[in-house]
Amino acid sequence: MNEPLSILELVKGATPLVLFVMLVLAVASVVSWVLIFQRWFALNRVQREMDDFEDEFWSGIELHKLKQEVDAQEEGDPTGIESIFIAGFGEYQRLSAQSGADPDAVMQNVQRAMRVALNREEERLARHLPFLATVGSTSPYIGLFGTVWGIMNSFRSLANMTQATLAAVAPGISEALIATAMGLFAAIPAVIGYNRFAARVEVLMKRYEAFTDELTSILHRAAHTAP
Amino acid sequence: MNFVRDYGAPLVLALLLHAGVAAALLRGWDAEADEPQVVTPRIIQAQLLVMEKPVPKPRPRSVPTAPPKPKPAPAKPLPKPEPQAPKPPPKALPKPDPEVERRAREEAARQQRLQELMERSTKLALDEDVAEESVIEANTMTYADAISRAIVAAWSRPPSARNDMQARLQVDLTPSGDLIGVRVVDTSGNPAFDRSAETAVRKAARTLGTFPVPPEQSLFEAHFRHFTLLFKPEDLLR
Repeated sequence: MNEPLSILELVKGATPLVLFVMLVLAVASVVSWVLIFQRWFALNRVQREMDDFEDEFWSGIELHKLKQEVDAQEEGDPTGIESIFIAGFGEYQRLSAQSGADPDAVMQNVQRAMRVALNREEERLARHLPFLATVGSTSPYIGLFGTVWGIMNSFRSLANMTQATLAAVAPGISEALIATAMGLFAAIPAVIGYNRFAARVEVLMKRYEAFTDELTSILHRAAHTAP
Repeated sequence: MNFVRDYGAPLVLALLLHAGVAAALLRGWDAEADEPQVVTPRIIQAQLLVMEKPVPKPRPRSVPTAPPKPKPAPAKPLPKPEPQAPKPPPKALPKPDPEVERRAREEAARQQRLQELMERSTKLALDEDVAEESVIEANTMTYADAISRAIVAAWSRPPSARNDMQARLQVDLTPSGDLIGVRVVDTSGNPAFDRSAETAVRKAARTLGTFPVPPEQSLFEAHFRHFTLLFKPEDLLR
């Protein structure tokens, strides 16, 4: 056996438990990468939409017209910053249409509606991030478990031999270490992705809140100046 | 539909990424394997141990090389029968007895024949001995070889070992092959070297359990109960 072991051979020769650990880690890695790409695209889209919407919002367009535009362009439920706008301004429109509404009561309702929309948006932005955090923090341990198990086995088989050679344990250890490598391979992108996306979600939420405050102040002014 | 829109592209990307990584890993691994590693070991591969031929061969040579002296003939032709003839007359010179003379001659011939016979048989025995000796020698060498191989395998020479060093150790074994003792009889001048040689013998004994020794009692007694080993590092690069 003078040719080096192929990695495939090593994986095939692993004990069932180590194989299972490897499988779990491979699945975790694939899923976390799927989520990383998905979050990446989603957050990029959210940011782009927000930039577009804010440009439009501050272009001096009438809020009624803006709401109609938004309602017209969205085939489904509005998402992102638009949903906050729709929630707040829609509530304002509905309440102020009723005669004799107290401006303070109207504003309270508007704020509540926007807060609900904000929470929903935050949940939508931060979706899947807990999974990335879990993969990032646990998959090294899972890999380590597989490695420890594999090394345990290879040493146990060593105990049956009269002559202890490195060649007897080396394949087992090598095969067991693949589990740790896979664990790290799954964990590192997940941790990086989690940190990156958590920071971006925070930035986006800050902008949502700022927009919410601005819309609140605009509507507040409108409610109190309205006859 | 919604799911496909949201997760289709990420899924494809993730799978592509993993496939790429797996392919790179497999291929890289193999490519590395293809390169033959030609590393000439800096360390020595040498015949380190010389099993000395056991020195005194207490083989009982049953037949001495010199043939035994013919026994003095029982019939001595010289007994002077003095008391018989107290004062013989001068003419009474003892005449050689013809009978006695004949017997003496006969005796001499017999002796010669005997001696011839003996010489021949001695030669035969010697020839036989030589053949037997070579078998024994081969046997001895087999066992000695096994022992010395085990000791060489167990020997790790100290860094201070040099080519011209040699240490002679005496090893004592029981008939079962257990190590009784080992001691340096001829030091190399380097204590570390001596110690390493001693350690090698002990380590070999530990690994093997018992040294292989011939079951024949005489062979063991002759060659293996006490034997000396010459340790010398050869072909050291330094």
